[in-house]
Amino acid sequence: MRPTLRLDRGTLVLREVPEVVACWFTWDARSQNHRAPGASYRPVMEALRSAGVSVVDEAAVFSKLELGFARDVTPYPHQMAALRAWKDAGRRGVVVLPTGAGKTLVAQLALRDTPRSALICVPTLDLLQQWYAGLVAAFPDTNVGVLGGGSHDDTPLLVSTYDSAAIHAETLAGTYAFQIFDECHHLPSDFTRVIAQMGLAPYRLGLSATPKRSDGRERDLDDLIGPVVYSVAPDELAGDTLADYRETIIRVKLSAGEQRRYDDLIRQRNDFLRLQGIRLGSLEGWTEFIRASGSPQGRAAMRAHREAKSLAYGTEGKLRVLEEILATHPSARTLIFTDDNATVYRISREFLIPAITHQTPVKERHAMLENFRSGDYRILVTSRVLNEGVDVPEASVAVVLSGTATEREHIQRLGRILRKSEGKQAVLYEVITEGTSEERVSQQRRGQWSPGMSAQDIADHYLDLNAPD
Amino acid sequence: MLPTELLLFRVRAGLVEPRRLRPTTGNLGTADMLIQTFEAHIGKRRHELDEELRALEAGRQDFRVVRGLAHLLANRGTFEAGGHVEPGHVRARVFALAQDHVPSRRHTAHLLEQAARALSTDTPVSPAEVAAALYADLPDQQTLVALDAPTPLELIQLYDLSQAQGMLYRAYSLVITARRNEPSRYKQLLKYLKFFGLMVTVEGDADVGFTLTLDGPTSLFGSTTRYGLALAKFLPALLHVTKWDLSAAVKPRRDLAWVDPKDDEWSFQLTSEDGYVSHYPEPRDHDSALESGFVERFAKLDTGWVLEREVDLVPVPGGVILPDFRLVREGRSVLVEIVGYWRPEYLRKKFDLLRRSGRTDVIVCVSERLNLEKAGVDPSDFGDRVVWFKGVLNPRDVLAVADRVRPA
Repeated sequence: MRPTLRLDRGTLVLREVPEVVACWFTWDARSQNHRAPGASYRPVMEALRSAGVSVVDEAAVFSKLELGFARDVTPYPHQMAALRAWKDAGRRGVVVLPTGAGKTLVAQLALRDTPRSALICVPTLDLLQQWYAGLVAAFPDTNVGVLGGGSHDDTPLLVSTYDSAAIHAETLAGTYAFQIFDECHHLPSDFTRVIAQMGLAPYRLGLSATPKRSDGRERDLDDLIGPVVYSVAPDELAGDTLADYRETIIRVKLSAGEQRRYDDLIRQRNDFLRLQGIRLGSLEGWTEFIRASGSPQGRAAMRAHREAKSLAYGTEGKLRVLEEILATHPSARTLIFTDDNATVYRISREFLIPAITHQTPVKERHAMLENFRSGDYRILVTSRVLNEGVDVPEASVAVVLSGTATEREHIQRLGRILRKSEGKQAVLYEVITEGTSEERVSQQRRGQWSPGMSAQDIADHYLDLNAPD
Repeated sequence: MLPTELLLFRVRAGLVEPRRLRPTTGNLGTADMLIQTFEAHIGKRRHELDEELRALEAGRQDFRVVRGLAHLLANRGTFEAGGHVEPGHVRARVFALAQDHVPSRRHTAHLLEQAARALSTDTPVSPAEVAAALYADLPDQQTLVALDAPTPLELIQLYDLSQAQGMLYRAYSLVITARRNEPSRYKQLLKYLKFFGLMVTVEGDADVGFTLTLDGPTSLFGSTTRYGLALAKFLPALLHVTKWDLSAAVKPRRDLAWVDPKDDEWSFQLTSEDGYVSHYPEPRDHDSALESGFVERFAKLDTGWVLEREVDLVPVPGGVILPDFRLVREGRSVLVEIVGYWRPEYLRKKFDLLRRSGRTDVIVCVSERLNLEKAGVDPSDFGDRVVWFKGVLNPRDVLAVADRVRPA
């Protein structure tokens, strides 16, 4: 009797293991059978086939897709090269392309040439919408489904957020022959890597502009997806795919009154710290400050620190500059970025500019982006939700009102306007407040400043701390 | 349950101890104050509630406790967008009107007036109402419309349980040592295990107790915290079981400054006597009239046999079965399984598991109304250990068989 290969909650199960695949399986005394991670499906099946051993495969329930490709686009040479490299590598691996260089088309071509049930994982709800719209346009006869953001479809071509795909990893494991990971540096985290580990998918494609992670786990992508099969840097493409852009930094000075207030608050805080012998240069110092903020004096110092921080971000001054920039570009498609939701909504309320944050309902978000694309809305203000690879091709002006210090964010924000649009030079404004610690954050964001953490960085992260009391 | 940032615990010699409030006057007072704050904000906006809560926690050493209690209360509240103009509609109108101008704060008041006129139907809408409605559906703009308010004691119990559950988020596996007890209420436990996709390995017997190791399919390939959340959700079900000790291996929180970076594993331990209270429904003593009728009739008999309910976990390959009853007499014991009405595939599985357990001390009581043949079940393997019954199962028939069965 032929052995039967079954799938149990993201693992492959065999009652008896043929010798040629024994190395992938482990005896499971709990269930009295042999078990292997779902991801070993491909090497197991390949080994069985080359040894001429036949099994009953009850594990994989892949389906064929009828993908009528309804796009008359000529791929750029780098897109064709990426596709070829991925296919030559056995349809497994990571393609590294700068934001704006058309990763989505590479994926659509890979789908066209690998017409099997496919799961596409994306990090944000915006990307979910964007992939959905893109796939519907590319494959109009195919039923495209969405998992995440309130939708729970079950279709052979499915776009999901990483979180939803991880939550449902066990049920998705056997259905998809092809896994595509957009912004694939998200995959190696503890919570999401199970999508790749449990999934049987013999074909895998990772896409990223910057596969780097702060924890170095991008190395795991080799196992989870496959090695980098194609890579190209932004400057190799500038002028070809990407529009030239100009970056303008505007320094906002606090008004004399604001500056006095700021200095005053910082003095208040520092007096307290000195009295307590706390040095804010380190994480321990910051933890001590939080502990000390239980006392009335400590509370006052913490309040002073917070108010100084909010002054440093100089919202009022920045809004004055924003108004000026908007007047300078009275007809340009413009995106405004700020770091915190409160400022997004403040700008939206005060200027009556449509806003998108992570709180915006999915459908409304989609409609807003559509309006922006079509030109019905000329300006959008947003927090970090548009950061990664969301395709807003028509934007030619971007205004960054404040930011946090991570390199990737900066690259990807720039990427938003690095789109070739006829005869247009894109402008990126970065509005920062002079004479406060925030300046260093901006420098770090552009890779110019990095020694250790500033008190500001630590302040930005202080809620993650969890000291016992 | 609580989000990770509201978990409070300390670590002593590798043992994690979750924060417990205990119902002291002070803690009950804090809980009561929060419940009253929430109740006073029914009909008000969430940000007003949040501001009040921030004021309450300000300067308190235990502000994270206050925040945790408030989180649990918020989970029991219903928040809705209020107002008679729909915010999404207001936004669409306002932003459409705003497109004719280069955005400037000088225009805003004028645009709001225009929008108010456009949005006024039978009921007039003021510019201020338009401005208020613009983002009335945001979470912090929503109104608390209802609260499923616990008592202060219940809130504290819920908090303690949530902290204990939180310790399991990062657990690799969980080991339960169940001591001899009756009734042990394992049935609901097994149901929840299945529901949360967990796997169990059982060792031991009904006289000395059992060791249950809980993890998931991929735990086989290496330690994983994938099943931590399922284990956390499982904990309230375990609390209904009596007499056990629990021990879980937990991945240390390296993200916390005070954690010793040399720690590579923490242990979390709990027992059924620790006083945690489950908010999952109490399992009923019997899940069918068939079984409760049997217990009642048995009680009226004058016999040397003692009837125990659901005390024996019988490991079988791929799982564990829990026979309905165990009969004990002078050091001898037999197991009793009553098979009432069930779907054919359930019957097949039940008989298959009983057979695979390899136990020869199980009496199977089968309703004559069941069409075993049609379900593809052959009870002949159980030989004379089958008791057929019509409608009512007579305990005497079962005891007659029990007297014959050789001890296992």
